[in-house]
Amino acid sequence: MLEPETSSSPATEFPPVEPTNFDMIIVGTGLQESIIAAAASTAGKSVLHLDPNPFYGSHFSSLSPSDLSSFLRSSPPYCSPSLLSDEYDAIPLSARPLYSDVEISPEELENCRRFCLDVSGPRVLFCADSAIELMLKSGVSHYLEFKSVDASLIYEAESGNLSSVPDSRAAIFKDRSLGLTEKTQLMKFFKLVQEHLEEENEGLISEEDMESPFVEFLTKMRLPKKIKSIILYSIALADYDQENAETGEDLLKTKDGINRLALYHSSIGRFNAQSAMLYPMYGQGELPQAFCRRAAVKGCIYVLRMPVAALLAEKGTGLYKGVKLKSGQDLLSSQLVIDPRFVVPPSLALSRRGASQESSQDPIPAAVKGKVARGICITRLSLKSDASNLLIVFPPRSLCPEQATSVRVLQLSGNVAVCPPGMFVTHLSTLCHDASQGKRLLTAAIDALFRDTMPGNSETSCSENPEDTSASESDNMKVHSSALLWTALYIQEITEGSVQTISSGPSPDGNLSYNDLIDVTKKMFQQLYPGQEFFPEKASSEDPEDKNSDGGCRGDNSSEKNSDGGDGGSGSGSGNGNGNSVGVYPEYL
Amino acid sequence: MSTRRRTLLKVIVLGDSGVGKTSLMNQYVHKKFSQQYKATIGADFVTKELQIDDKLVTLQIWDTAGQERFQSLGVAFYRGADCCVLVYDVNVMKSFDSLDNWHDEFLKQANPPDPKAFPFILLGNKIDIDGGNSRVVSEKKARDWCASRGNIPYFETSAKENIRVDDAFLCIAKAALANEREQDM
Repeated sequence: MLEPETSSSPATEFPPVEPTNFDMIIVGTGLQESIIAAAASTAGKSVLHLDPNPFYGSHFSSLSPSDLSSFLRSSPPYCSPSLLSDEYDAIPLSARPLYSDVEISPEELENCRRFCLDVSGPRVLFCADSAIELMLKSGVSHYLEFKSVDASLIYEAESGNLSSVPDSRAAIFKDRSLGLTEKTQLMKFFKLVQEHLEEENEGLISEEDMESPFVEFLTKMRLPKKIKSIILYSIALADYDQENAETGEDLLKTKDGINRLALYHSSIGRFNAQSAMLYPMYGQGELPQAFCRRAAVKGCIYVLRMPVAALLAEKGTGLYKGVKLKSGQDLLSSQLVIDPRFVVPPSLALSRRGASQESSQDPIPAAVKGKVARGICITRLSLKSDASNLLIVFPPRSLCPEQATSVRVLQLSGNVAVCPPGMFVTHLSTLCHDASQGKRLLTAAIDALFRDTMPGNSETSCSENPEDTSASESDNMKVHSSALLWTALYIQEITEGSVQTISSGPSPDGNLSYNDLIDVTKKMFQQLYPGQEFFPEKASSEDPEDKNSDGGCRGDNSSEKNSDGGDGGSGSGSGNGNGNSVGVYPEYL
Repeated sequence: MSTRRRTLLKVIVLGDSGVGKTSLMNQYVHKKFSQQYKATIGADFVTKELQIDDKLVTLQIWDTAGQERFQSLGVAFYRGADCCVLVYDVNVMKSFDSLDNWHDEFLKQANPPDPKAFPFILLGNKIDIDGGNSRVVSEKKARDWCASRGNIPYFETSAKENIRVDDAFLCIAKAALANEREQDM
């Protein structure tokens, strides 16, 4: 028989959600929540995934300028104070602001809908990183298309120039800014690392060196300052000044530095990409959507535009039982996972069935770990005439003496469809202790990138006593500031996650990659469902039980398509411009 | 011939829950029909190779994966579609009334360069039920709607009895291919 009439169209009221009891309810469709939804659904759990917003992605969404503005400034969702339930105690779910100090100018922008701005940018994927592995393993790579980030540049304080990062042997060979001695030193160092990583040479770099700060190791290898800076900040992507670290925690150990170098090198050339880094077409917001689709294919139920009005607790015991939707419906679940912006009343957060001692005490919200300052610019000119998608790193102290953190910049073009052709979206971020410090750094970086080439307009500084940053009139590095059409600056809190009956993932971190987030999410899943595999290999689209799904076919077809060097038809939407897309498919050979 | 690249066309199928979207896709690709309805689980996309004129085409037909139930299809679903197939149940008036919303939602989300020229196709499904006696939407009414929306091609289908399913999808493939060619120019 046919299902009772529960169908609906975009404009009508929601039907009630059925069933009313789930293994897990998830509120918020950020990347971690979406991965948990897909993993739990794949493991056979019944999952309901809600989001109060009309779009997917939450803190990992890609939004138009006006939607971004309202998302960053949105006040905590409204909670009705008089929510009564006969069976349960209704406890309001409050929210805290994750974003502050939002500055956007101008408020209005033409063709606003044609831009996709990442809420937690800049972020890229490394071709060999754990995020890519997860997408391959879970099958979501079928839903995504990527393009290469085709250049990596580093800002040199002395010259005020951006120079190419010699990140591979080929790049070193071609580099024009390094002298022959520097080239040899860098080549030798890459070779040493490579040899160290080959199994038979384990121990080539001593255990003592591996545990010591990476910067000391680089010094010991007699690498010059310029090369050290390139390795530390553009390849190992260190967040803090490694030469004058404020605390030991900010120092990268040699083993971590080597691992990051290895990841970078194994990423170069994978999937025939032009560089180590990839960016998803249409923005990072496609990633959570791909995981949500995977979850939906595995049975997860999706309801957008549906806020949770209250949590339901058992009368007497105060144990979590479920949620009350804004529509008034009560839904029950054994587990609840919530967006990091929500605050759980302490009375509820302490009851995990069979909880181990150590995991049961973290409150939600968990501790705030710090802040990240983010900025987004829309421009009409590329920062480099021969590259459209590019990464730029301003190493610590390169903008001003007070700069203790790296500032990372990602310019994206129309070829990843985040803006109309001929326009560019530039994301910036840096870690910071306080808002004004973070914003000063971003402003200094924006000034350095987009400064007028007019003489006498170079009094840029991020400190109170401006440094002389009189930059050379380098040709295509500086964009006339009149090309800067729109700017947003904001501060985001970095919070940790917590796993109990009610769990919450961490808020987006300040990293350039998704790797730490993926690792945390995997751990979260394993704590939520001990013994369950996080996306078993069989769960890929080749799943023979999945008779309805022909998803696997696409991998074959498309990799063929890709090796033809073609761009196929799937990305033929508006504004894709040129450039081959990078298909991320399992390697069969 | 061998140097010519294969064309991949993305087709999305939209319509209310329970109108037979998944069944139509399964009938077309697997020549199978399941009497038992469950809200779509496990349906992702199906692919079918077709020869249109001298061109080899891979049709990739995307199911809603059940995300249409609470109007929660994300914008990613609509990205890069070459043709949009709208489906309603000729026995359920509400599914016909929803077509305007699905049509407009598609244009809003997919945001094609030329909305007026974007290829849609309408399928009136389940014409087999009760020998047509339980039908509430007349063919004329459906054809009038298609005319009012810029002459959308219309097919009356039965996924169960395999009536006009192949014809409909061939038309869909041609429309998608024509749309893609236009965009290449």
